[in-house]
Amino acid sequence: MFSYSVVGAQLYTGDMVFVMISFLILMYLIKLVAWKPITKMMQNRSDKIANDIDSAKESRDKAAELAQKRQAELAKTREDANSLINTAKQNGQRQREQIVEDARQEASNLKSSAEKDIEQQRQEALANSRKDVASLSIEIASKIISKELNEQDQKGLVDSYIEGLGKQK
Amino acid sequence: MSIGGSNHTFTFLGLTFNAGNMISILLACLIVLALVFALSRHITMKPGKAQNVLEYAVDFTNGIVGSSVPGEASKMLGLWGFTLFMFLLVANNMGLFLHVDVSGITYVKSPTSDPVVTMTFSLMTLTLAQFLGVRKLGYKKHFENYLKPFKLFLIVNLFEEFTNFLTLGLRLFGNILSGEMLLTMITGMATGGGPVMWIGMLPLELIWQGFSVFISCIQAYVFVTLSSVYISQKIEVEEV
Repeated sequence: MFSYSVVGAQLYTGDMVFVMISFLILMYLIKLVAWKPITKMMQNRSDKIANDIDSAKESRDKAAELAQKRQAELAKTREDANSLINTAKQNGQRQREQIVEDARQEASNLKSSAEKDIEQQRQEALANSRKDVASLSIEIASKIISKELNEQDQKGLVDSYIEGLGKQK
Repeated sequence: MSIGGSNHTFTFLGLTFNAGNMISILLACLIVLALVFALSRHITMKPGKAQNVLEYAVDFTNGIVGSSVPGEASKMLGLWGFTLFMFLLVANNMGLFLHVDVSGITYVKSPTSDPVVTMTFSLMTLTLAQFLGVRKLGYKKHFENYLKPFKLFLIVNLFEEFTNFLTLGLRLFGNILSGEMLLTMITGMATGGGPVMWIGMLPLELIWQGFSVFISCIQAYVFVTLSSVYISQKIEVEEV
């Protein structure tokens, strides 16, 4: 049923050559058909993955940089706004003081000019009344009393009277 | 050398050929080629199913070779490892499913169940190792390695070289032959003892076939691994 020969009893030298040649041909064909494209593709893929990792890192760095820049800009803007508000506040304060000062000045000017006017008018009124009273009293006196009293004496009398009035006041 | 059948041999140019071996080897080559060809269609950046299988196989054999052969040499040996592994995988398993005997002469079986075939692979591996060793280190350094750690070791080293050649080939041959032999024996018992025997032997055949597939795959792996180790030993300067 089984028939074995001892190794070397019948060496199939032709088979050895056949195995070698067929193996080499097989290797060559596999290289042609599958090995080259598949290893190339695997290489490409690993390159692509490496590139992707690199570019991802790059873009992450860029994003971080951008965020930092924006943060800095935000801080700067806030600072600017603060200083702007402060300046405006100061300006407002100054303006307010200015306005109040001006108003006060004007008020005091007005007051003093009004006082002056009043004084002047008083003086005028006083002078007028003095004149009027004099002439009136002369008229009255001349009407009521006789015409013995001349104008000179009458004036002196009225003056003394008015002087007494002023002192009383 | 055959199981359950004699061989059809003929002589051509002074070389003896075994028709059974030739057909089996050719068939194994064609199966491997067809498999690889089918898997390598439509290669894209984003792999499909077939491409994934092929890439897994390539990564696997590259891993075997790369784990023992360092650096640039492993890239060069990738194709060799892949082809060897695929061929042995198919060749080891072929006889388990397909065994053609025509009037007592075996025509199709596992080519690796013949010591001539396995020893030839073993010889090829060691020749490749010698070649790469000389190419990497130069003749002087390469052959100086046989004198290390001291000159008397030449005998041991030469003997080791010979045993490497013998064990590498015979291990594969023995494993595959024993698997096929038992399968043939079970088949013989099944067909010789009537229908009861036939049914009774079926599970045994199944179990042994499964076990043989396992052994065949392991042996293909072992052969490629050991070949890589032998090659890596030759392309490195031995530390004394």
